[in-house]
Amino acid sequence: MQGGGEKARYYASLGYFNQAGTTVGTGMDRITTKINLDYNVSDRIRFRTDITYTHVATDFNYTGSIRNIAYTKMPNMAIYQYDEYGNETPNYFSPASNIQGQYSSTYNPLAMALIGVNHQLGERITPKFQLQYALIPNSVLTGTFDIQFDVNNSKTQTFLPQQATGRPTNETSVNRATDSDGDGLNIQTKTNLIYQPKLKEGHAFQALLSLQSNDTRNVSHNVATTNTASDILQDASNPSRTQNSDLTLASSSSQYRSVGALLSAQYGLYDRYLVNVGLRADGNSRFGPNNRYGLFPSVSVRWRVSGENFMKSLTYVDELSLRASYGHSGNVPGSNYSFYNFYQPFSFSYCGMSGVYPSNMELVNLKWETLIGKNIGFNLAMFKNRFKVDAEYYMNTTKDMFYTGLQISSFTGFDNVSMNVGTMDNTGWEIGLNTVPYKNTNWSVGFDFNIAKNINTLRSVSEFYPKTNGAKINTNGVYQTYLQIGNPFGSYYGFRYLGVYTDADATIARDAQGNKIIGPNEQVVQMRFNYPSIDYQFQPGDAKYEDVNHDGNIDYMDIVYLGNGIPKFTGGFGPNVTYKGNLKLTLFFSYRAGYQLINGTKMTTSNMYGFNNQSTAVLRRWRNPGDETDIPRALYNSGYNWLGSDRYVEDASFIRLRSMTLRYNFPQELLKRIKFKTGSFYITAENLFTWTKYTGQDPDVSSSRNNDPLSYNVDNSMTPPGKTFSMGLSIGF
Amino acid sequence: MIRKIKYSILIVLAVMLGTSCEKWLDLKPEDGIIRQNFWKTKEDVKSSVIGCYSSLFATTQTLFLWGEIRGDMITSTLRSSAEQTEIMNGNILSSNSITNWRVIYKTINYCNTVIDFAPDVLKTDQTFKEEDLNGYLAEVRTLRALMYFNLLRSFGEVPLKLTATASDADLVQLEKSSQQDVYDQIVADLAFAEQYAPLTYGVREQDKGRITRYAVYALQADVYLWMENYTDCITACDKVINSNQFGLIAGRIPNEDNTDSIPNPQWFNTVFYVGNSNESIFEFQYDNQILNPFYNLVISSNRQFTGSTFVMDEMYTIDLLDDTKKDIRGDLASIRSSDMVIWKYAGANNTGSMRSQTTSYAHWFVYRYPDILLMKAEALAWTSQGHAALNIVKEIRDRANALAATERSPDPSSASEISDYIMEERAREFAFEGKRWYDILRNAKRNDYANLQYMIDIITKIAPADRQQSMINKYMDVRSHYLPINLYELQTDKNLVQNPFYQ
Repeated sequence: MQGGGEKARYYASLGYFNQAGTTVGTGMDRITTKINLDYNVSDRIRFRTDITYTHVATDFNYTGSIRNIAYTKMPNMAIYQYDEYGNETPNYFSPASNIQGQYSSTYNPLAMALIGVNHQLGERITPKFQLQYALIPNSVLTGTFDIQFDVNNSKTQTFLPQQATGRPTNETSVNRATDSDGDGLNIQTKTNLIYQPKLKEGHAFQALLSLQSNDTRNVSHNVATTNTASDILQDASNPSRTQNSDLTLASSSSQYRSVGALLSAQYGLYDRYLVNVGLRADGNSRFGPNNRYGLFPSVSVRWRVSGENFMKSLTYVDELSLRASYGHSGNVPGSNYSFYNFYQPFSFSYCGMSGVYPSNMELVNLKWETLIGKNIGFNLAMFKNRFKVDAEYYMNTTKDMFYTGLQISSFTGFDNVSMNVGTMDNTGWEIGLNTVPYKNTNWSVGFDFNIAKNINTLRSVSEFYPKTNGAKINTNGVYQTYLQIGNPFGSYYGFRYLGVYTDADATIARDAQGNKIIGPNEQVVQMRFNYPSIDYQFQPGDAKYEDVNHDGNIDYMDIVYLGNGIPKFTGGFGPNVTYKGNLKLTLFFSYRAGYQLINGTKMTTSNMYGFNNQSTAVLRRWRNPGDETDIPRALYNSGYNWLGSDRYVEDASFIRLRSMTLRYNFPQELLKRIKFKTGSFYITAENLFTWTKYTGQDPDVSSSRNNDPLSYNVDNSMTPPGKTFSMGLSIGF
Repeated sequence: MIRKIKYSILIVLAVMLGTSCEKWLDLKPEDGIIRQNFWKTKEDVKSSVIGCYSSLFATTQTLFLWGEIRGDMITSTLRSSAEQTEIMNGNILSSNSITNWRVIYKTINYCNTVIDFAPDVLKTDQTFKEEDLNGYLAEVRTLRALMYFNLLRSFGEVPLKLTATASDADLVQLEKSSQQDVYDQIVADLAFAEQYAPLTYGVREQDKGRITRYAVYALQADVYLWMENYTDCITACDKVINSNQFGLIAGRIPNEDNTDSIPNPQWFNTVFYVGNSNESIFEFQYDNQILNPFYNLVISSNRQFTGSTFVMDEMYTIDLLDDTKKDIRGDLASIRSSDMVIWKYAGANNTGSMRSQTTSYAHWFVYRYPDILLMKAEALAWTSQGHAALNIVKEIRDRANALAATERSPDPSSASEISDYIMEERAREFAFEGKRWYDILRNAKRNDYANLQYMIDIITKIAPADRQQSMINKYMDVRSHYLPINLYELQTDKNLVQNPFYQ
């Protein structure tokens, strides 16, 4: 609803959203309301008030590993118990332990999803007030003052009933209830002074002084108790066991503040040349007294070439402008008070006395992470805006890059430290195309396309920075990555998989010419793994890896480049068709090209290493000498049959039909008749098809740790994006 | 007018910025203790010393594994992790997390923190006296020495970190120190502690759970014995023995009408289940608030280790003719003969009930009085006092009702024969107390590996058939007796060099 007059205007809205999750036992309920009120006291003073309230109730699964357990759990175990006559009972079958282990390595996944509780409630109110005062009328000098409050309260309650785990009642996993409250209050203020003098025709000048402050407070309270008398008593306040090192009763509070001052000026000449310079000073409570303030300058220019006289003759060019910018900005670390050395009490006593220990080290050297952005770009519009290009090349340098939890030698008494570790470059380009190749009175066909490439490279780094990812390449299932100064991130290394040793003869070491290697006493030499420290002799049925250097020994010297998990290109494209301006069909495809993903699911479902459920591929495993197959023999908890190798590396390039929307805007005359302002109807389908050679569930694995040069992407079959269909009717009045 | 407003706003802003900014941004945490507010009173010192002890709990699993997994008394189960079985099969890689020394150095850092900051308290707390300070320093320096001694015996050469890491400005990349340097540091710490450590804290559980001067002597004896300094070892042992503060808990007590003696039914309960007995010198004081790691390791149905079968068959043995004759340390004390469960940590009594997950708080025994006696016997044997040594062994055997089948009669003039016999007795006495591997190594490495065959025989016995030859070959190379430095440490410290066997 909206309305009002010259003095005052109002806007109000109310929304409700309900969604059932992809995994059973998950879902969300959301209510949002919003009220805006504007009041003009006079033509020089104006008030604005925005108030938003959001209520969210979300049900999560008790643990995030339910899908994982469901994949790996014995498929022949019943969901429900059977009575002695063979009738199914309503009780979940949750044995205390079985051959696959016990909670938390295995459990009844359906019971966990349906009766495990993880309920989160959020209440958030954001009132915002603004006062605008024209110090000198006609926008010459305007002052604004903004203050925004953000009250964000949340509550999480979880409960793990005994039936979901089957564990004996004296354990702390039984009827375990937790309750945590978090109250956050954030106050932001912003005072702006904008100076915009009236200048001669063709000149434009604007100066801005902005002062900002931010104050955030968080208070939290956590409690975990276990062994309530019944799994109906699900609240942590019920009489239950409260003292155990595994249980918590904790509260914390923290505060964080920042101030900033920005001075910037912009000068435009004849609407063709535009220059902007700025200087920002920031202060932040997350730094120690020595490094608390930072200064960040910036400058940008824009030249509208199409405004020049010599371009006037090229009538088909609507717009051409070039731009370039250079600027610094600062980032702060994620945690408060890190420049203090804390002492914490142990949660248990020793000989009846309580002890404290230094729980962190004081970070006196932590300083601002500075982002230096440089970019150039242009946009061009031609043929009455039917062809538009926007292109940009950027190079962002992160100086004094933060690294949280950088591993340090443990003789210091600590495992890791947060510090500024080095300089990273993030370079890339983006091109966006908007075209309307065909248009007549009834029909309009458009085609959009964008493509981008982004590379991260490390330029210099602290001596504490790990040189490799620490992968134990002689253990199964891991790949090696190296710190390579100056090379793009994302490459990983491992063995080359050649299949399976079919028989005893195949396991004899051979030189580069394929002749058997003969030892000093004329004996034949077996292929070995990691001689001398492991010195495992390969047996028939074992996985065969390429002996790159032909020394009869598979070890770190046989590791080769296997792939890179960062796409060469990403982007999207899609046509849209409009009929008579009212009916519009939009298709959007997204793609990523030129990257290799490690199919972690394939690895864990065919390694035959433990008691986990396996895929049907293992039915063709090697069993007898002479068997020719690509799946090695089953070896319980031993052997080297699933080392990080190209066996699990797959090309994951894909094109996905991300969305397809058909929208019909009701014609004006119809709306007028039913007294609505706007009205439209739409159908959307998302994630309909994916074209890819990748055999896993979803090739679009997002790399959460893009800033880590030593990480590599593994697809562990997380919840894939659902195919969703939605229909909607939107009406405004 | 407008100008006035403009200026006054500017002035107000400038004042706001200039003066209050610094104060406004200077936030101190509202909860938790920060160093600036700590180290003011003697209570602060005490609680941080207690914190050093509390941190010992985290080391127990590591100490158990380092002391037993390469020895012959425990064996793997189906539930053992791949890393555990790799070590048992002689495949010791620097990537194996069991070679991780993190928990040990954590305690060392806590000790270093007390050593660095506690002296400041003298200035702020007038009731805190020099002798109080020295008492606390003696405790933490002994703990530090104990931790370095474990590192020395497990890795040979290790980095010697003697100052606290309190801020990121303290970060260093250390090199390994030589065995001699580590040894000298341990001796120096103990020499200090010997002067100042309290004789008693007045409370039994603290006398057994904190470092007393007797614990210092016990550690001294162990360290000297390791470095083959037998005279000092005997001196240290005698200091404990002559204090008359300790004795052996009798293995037999008179029967009801005083006509005969019966095995002491309370023996297991006194020494191991309850702990802190008269023969105890230093134990990690687990209790119901803090459980030991043994539930998962040796108790639960998914236990990762059991005792080797030969522990019962060959070490304690069974008297087939008279089943009332039993080594009191054997069945239902160290081990349950029916299923080889390690009873020292699993047993709730000596009749067969087990500890549950919630009662798994058996103490970790660092030194017990029999250790002093047997260390002395070993030192006596190597200083040509074989008879005296054998008398001590007999004392230990008699109190435990050791069976005749395990009795040997070594030549009193042959130090190595007596020493081998003492090793057998130590195995019986300290089964699963994290001492076996170090005993084997000490006995083998003595006099420049004169008795390497002792270790090789044991390895031959425990090696799986298909690995026997390669394991023997490996153990013949004496450099393999020390663990590799964990890969993690090599990656984070470029000055650290891998131990020679693993390079």
